Amino acid sequence: MIPESWSLQEMVDPVLGLYALLAVGLLVVSGLVLLGTHVAGKNVSSIWQTYRGWLIMAPLFLVTLWLGRVPTIVGLGLLSMLGFREFARATGLHRHWWYTVAVYVSIVSLCVLELMTDPRTGLAGWYGMFMAAPVYVIALLLTIPVLRNRAEGQLQLVSLSIVGFIYMGWMFGHLAFLANSTSAFGYLLYLFFAVELNDVAAFTFGKLFGRRKLRSNVSPNKTLEGCLGALAVSMVLPWLLHFSFPHFGWVELLLSGIIVGVGGQLGDLTISAIKRDLGVKDMGTLIPGHGGILDRLDSLIFTAPFFFHMVRWFHDLY
Amino acid sequence: MTSTEHETEEVQAWQYEPAADRNRPLVELLQGFPREPHLWMYVLRTTAALVIRSWFKLYHRFEIRNKERLPIGKSFILIANHQSHLDTPCLVSTIPLRNIHRAFPAAAADYFFKDLPTSAFSSIVVNGLPFKRQARGAESLILCRELLKNEGNILIIFPEGTRTADGTPGVFKPGIGLLCAGTDIPIVPCYLEGAFKALPKGARFPRPSKLVLHVGEPRSYEDASPSKESFKHIASDLEEAVFNLRPKS
Repeated sequence: MIPESWSLQEMVDPVLGLYALLAVGLLVVSGLVLLGTHVAGKNVSSIWQTYRGWLIMAPLFLVTLWLGRVPTIVGLGLLSMLGFREFARATGLHRHWWYTVAVYVSIVSLCVLELMTDPRTGLAGWYGMFMAAPVYVIALLLTIPVLRNRAEGQLQLVSLSIVGFIYMGWMFGHLAFLANSTSAFGYLLYLFFAVELNDVAAFTFGKLFGRRKLRSNVSPNKTLEGCLGALAVSMVLPWLLHFSFPHFGWVELLLSGIIVGVGGQLGDLTISAIKRDLGVKDMGTLIPGHGGILDRLDSLIFTAPFFFHMVRWFHDLY
Repeated sequence: MTSTEHETEEVQAWQYEPAADRNRPLVELLQGFPREPHLWMYVLRTTAALVIRSWFKLYHRFEIRNKERLPIGKSFILIANHQSHLDTPCLVSTIPLRNIHRAFPAAAADYFFKDLPTSAFSSIVVNGLPFKRQARGAESLILCRELLKNEGNILIIFPEGTRTADGTPGVFKPGIGLLCAGTDIPIVPCYLEGAFKALPKGARFPRPSKLVLHVGEPRSYEDASPSKESFKHIASDLEEAVFNLRPKS
């Protein structure tokens, strides 16, 4: 039955609504800037493609969050599996289905742990088992050579599977676990927003002032100037977005800034190191203008767990 | 400080083999061969095989005679007479489910891999090997030979090259000779009975007539020389082997 009258506030959480407005505002402004540059006669086709990617990803993410806890956890779980698939196909692990299936099953199990209720405390998400999950998964992966009665070359496969699971499954899984928190909207939206803005800031500052190379053997295009500029932006952001977590004091705000500013850059550099070793340019081609899923999520993977444990230390999740 | 062997930063590189079809559009990924292993394809193919097998069993009362003659576990070539689109799924149904991802029916590239929907069907469900019968037949035959070098791969071929239009048997093309002359790869001749009645060329929907597959003794042509004459000889020898399996009535 349609209610006699309803206000927007009843339908949309105020934090989610504010972020939606923020996203629309930023997309419109950057769209206009791009249009202006295009009219001025500069070639913006590659940035345009990246921008178009955002036009699709931002609403998709906001709508999934709006739909609720279960769709958010399931959606992030699917993303996790797609990310692992990219990793497996880039390393050649995808030819060994014993290992890939074991990791896929483990990622699904993580999702179940995020969705279920803690049998001891009755709170959403089985925190203890989620944190203990790597013990069981690593034991399982190490057992596969024994089960198959094979030794040669198995250590490489076991190692790749463990990295794939810990990185794409477990570390990224912290983000989905945050959906169980009473301030889920604020935490998740802050992380997404701050991490992506940190990326854009690093790119912009690097383009404008970049001189000194940051890590020449890992990612030749990143500069110290870009990195510091992004850090500065990230340090300011938690204060501007204080409405996401009104219960945060200045220590938490400071830590949030450092986690995103440092973790965001490190996440980018770690995936670059992996790509360099593998000899590939992008991890995939799923998102035109952005590369693969891992190219987009790398910074989130490196910030989500640290932010999660910081929040839990000061305020608990609930 | 002198550098000793233990302090060196040199690390032996691991052997990575990224998927060959990375960064390719979907249609190329489906048309390419050899195909990379895709878990989702395996799941869909196994499901499709289960459906097809039960349909054959119930609707066509499908029966396999002398199934034990198939050298499962080794590489071999499965050949049969070609009457209908039912032939390929019939032959695949003789192979245990866990081996079907390594059974490759040679499928005409110009017909079965012409666009996205047909390529999706031919690669996911059929696991077909895109055979370029018109332009580059020899190249495709070399691809087949390479495939068979991997222990456990199965190649399914209809040496007539096309389906019979009126039910009368066609002539085996000498290309099959090129594949097996001078190798110890076993070739298993089969005769499929009833497929022309069930689904002749041009028919839309299969009739529920009975299908029986007669599996023959495996044979190989290790001593055959790689000449046109011997290829022709092998082809006619196999043709005889296949049609001798036809039950006398």
